[in-house]
Amino acid sequence: MSLYLQFLASGLSVGCIYGLVAIGFSVIFNASGIVNFAQGAFVMLGGTLTYVLYERAGLPIWFAIILSIFLSALIGMLFEVTIIRPLWKRNTSLFIMMLATLALGVIAENAVLHTVGDETHSFPPFTAGPPLQAFGASIARQTVWMAVLSVLIMILLNLLYKKTLLGKAMRACAVDRNVAPLLGIKVERMLTYSFGLSAALGAIAGILITPAQYTAYHIGLTFSVMGFIAAIIGGLGNPTGAFVGGIILGLLQSFAILFFDAGFKDVIAFSILLVFLLVKPSGLFSSYVEE
Amino acid sequence: MADPILRVTDITKRFGGVVAVNKVSFDVERHSITAVIGPNGAGKTTLFSAISGFRAADEGTVIFENTDITRTRADEVAQRGLIRTFQLVRLFRQMSVLDNVRVGLHSQTRGGFAMAVIRPAWFREQERRGIDEARAVLDKVGLLGQENAEASTLTYGQQRLLEVARALAAKPKLLLLDEPAAGLNRVESDNLAVLIRKIREGGTTVLFVEHDMDLVMRVAESIHVLDFGQHIARGTPAEVKANPAVLKAYLGDISEPVALKAEMI
Amino acid sequence: MADSESSATPSLALPPRIARGSRSMRIVVISMAVIIAALPFVASTYVLSLLVLASIYAVLAIGLDLFMGQTGQVSFGHNAFAALGGYATAILTTAHNWPPLAALAFSIVISVIAALIVGVRTLQLRGHYLAMATLALGMIAYTLAVQLTSLTNGFAGITGIAPLGIGPLELTSDLQYYYVVWIIVALGIWSSFRIKDSRVGRALGAIAGNEEAASALGINAARLKLIAFTISAAYAAVAGALMAHFIGFLSPEVFGLDLVTLLFAMLFVGGIGTIYGPVIGAVLIALLPAILGPLADYRQLAYGVILLAVIMFAPSGAFRLIADLAERLFDRSSEGEKHG
Repeated sequence: MSLYLQFLASGLSVGCIYGLVAIGFSVIFNASGIVNFAQGAFVMLGGTLTYVLYERAGLPIWFAIILSIFLSALIGMLFEVTIIRPLWKRNTSLFIMMLATLALGVIAENAVLHTVGDETHSFPPFTAGPPLQAFGASIARQTVWMAVLSVLIMILLNLLYKKTLLGKAMRACAVDRNVAPLLGIKVERMLTYSFGLSAALGAIAGILITPAQYTAYHIGLTFSVMGFIAAIIGGLGNPTGAFVGGIILGLLQSFAILFFDAGFKDVIAFSILLVFLLVKPSGLFSSYVEE
Repeated sequence: MADPILRVTDITKRFGGVVAVNKVSFDVERHSITAVIGPNGAGKTTLFSAISGFRAADEGTVIFENTDITRTRADEVAQRGLIRTFQLVRLFRQMSVLDNVRVGLHSQTRGGFAMAVIRPAWFREQERRGIDEARAVLDKVGLLGQENAEASTLTYGQQRLLEVARALAAKPKLLLLDEPAAGLNRVESDNLAVLIRKIREGGTTVLFVEHDMDLVMRVAESIHVLDFGQHIARGTPAEVKANPAVLKAYLGDISEPVALKAEMI
Repeated sequence: MADSESSATPSLALPPRIARGSRSMRIVVISMAVIIAALPFVASTYVLSLLVLASIYAVLAIGLDLFMGQTGQVSFGHNAFAALGGYATAILTTAHNWPPLAALAFSIVISVIAALIVGVRTLQLRGHYLAMATLALGMIAYTLAVQLTSLTNGFAGITGIAPLGIGPLELTSDLQYYYVVWIIVALGIWSSFRIKDSRVGRALGAIAGNEEAASALGINAARLKLIAFTISAAYAAVAGALMAHFIGFLSPEVFGLDLVTLLFAMLFVGGIGTIYGPVIGAVLIALLPAILGPLADYRQLAYGVILLAVIMFAPSGAFRLIADLAERLFDRSSEGEKHG
């Protein structure tokens, strides 16, 4: 019983991380229709930058965290302005834009490899102390932080989208890109903000999970794909659905590890993706149906 | 009607809660030029999609040349000789004008990957003849001088002509034209009228959806009127013009019937 | 009332037609053939081995170009078919002592079957759904290659793969592989052009241009897409098998996502849909480590940068640039002949 609880807890918390990545992915997809292969790169950057700033530059951990989120957002917006925007203006096909994000992911991964190195790194959990005991299961404190903070961020995002003018403007662009400018919304700037927001979300996800496992140059791709899978499960176009999709994915993966070899956990995730794509591509909570 | 080329019976198509096409029935006479008209949203294109196999109807039947094609896939419907064009021009933009038309010959020719690589004599002959036939069709619509141009470089009017040419190359028994005059200027739609008659003289039955009332009144022999997915009237142009139900559909409820003038719509 | 175009199809923008049979094209093609034939005499052993790898990648690229370039589809998972072909060959020739050609035939057959099974449902998807589905398949294949150690030896790999050959006639030197594989590439190019300039090639182009319009003209798009997919899988299997024989050793790393990035780089650097382009792309990309020299460790980074640079600045690819240049130099014809 306690074993199941253990896996439930880890599945939930990893799922929350996937959920954050999925929301970030959704934000860009809703704003532009672009599948952002580099989403996971921001996850990697968040953890890696924090490690570098804290461990190698000696900054206080909280400052390192905030700075790395800020830097990641900046990099995201920079990428949008220098690469995505010119391609967008040229009416480049969505596939080629997707390739551009893939290329960026490869570049980010290798840039980090050649500067920071190929080992795994980590930094201290947010609160120190022994794992918590609940119903016979041992739950690391960081795991709790992962779940709690993710949900908090998801709620904040919802508030942003529903209550603030900026959020509503971003949603308007997602709903109808052609009408939004008529309302005075600068669509291109919204796209930049979307990338910035997405990058920040990815970075936060990376920062949350690093103390629990590790960060390394190569983790990006897996998170990109997990984010996409979660978004598909939840239904493209629905950020909250994407978050729930992430949790579902995390739980499914966790229980799959229980019954199969841990090495197959990616196969499980990819198989789930295939099932959804072939059977219900609009996801569980889709807000629209693509023809 | 004895031996219609197309018989549509009680076709119904729903999208969620909306009934786009509601128990529409009519026949299309062989070698006729028939038009389907109706206000926007009347369900005309949905009807075409149901007939041609792109979006199967929920209820009803489509009989083409005495064969039930209600559930037949779009490419098989085309292979049987029912060719449709689209409302928004769908050219193969990066291919040449000539090659666009040659694609139209697909249903009239044979040979796949293996034949393409091996190239037996009959295949090479088929390819040669195909070029000649494609040129003949281009000549018929007046685009022969552009045969090597890339399709995307044509003017809008020329692109619409190319789409018709491409459909003609398939030697259709029944040609479904979805708003062929959309966006055409007066000269172009005059030429289109001439072309439609030429097509009919070649033995093809023409069924088209149109908003351009002028073209419809000039060229169509038989008209069917749809409104809110329902078939509300049929007849010759003169009959339809005077039909109060048609007037009501286009103009709304009016206390006195008024003769329908083409310019009013 | 707007006709609903299938908005979810980010189909590749095919390059405009390049005049074939023109004088400039003949010069370009003959030059390329001469260069390929003569290169072994001037290249160092290292470069020669890279060029053999280039030719093997070219085989993969030609197949993928048929599916992605001519038919306008997308596959992020062709590494799976290369892996299937490579491992089938490796396992059959080492553990079961099959003759290499029989193993090659089996590799092709098994890849074709896999492509048919996978393609039937997956190819109904379009756009990014198709991209992600093929990515999933490719990653599953890679993970299986790593995990099924009883079959594949995992990362330890399969060693001692016999050279390719028929009975006593074996390919033992790089030079022999070079010419044999480039002949295979030439055959592949020849077949691709025969397909492109034919009824079925125009049908593929129609599917790439607008699948519904193609259907409206009687083209069975689902069937043709599946056949194109299967043919490209067969090419990938051949490439995988050649790789196994040439290197003599096979491990999963070479079939991971890096291969997918590599392939896209080759296809786009060379010019997707141009048939010659991906071959040129394969050569350029394969030679990159030689060009980088002491910086060879940075090659993955270079692939990413090159792919991005090509997308940004030369999306039609190198072959288009070469063809345009040749046209300007050698064709003394008028403007009207430009779009032959």
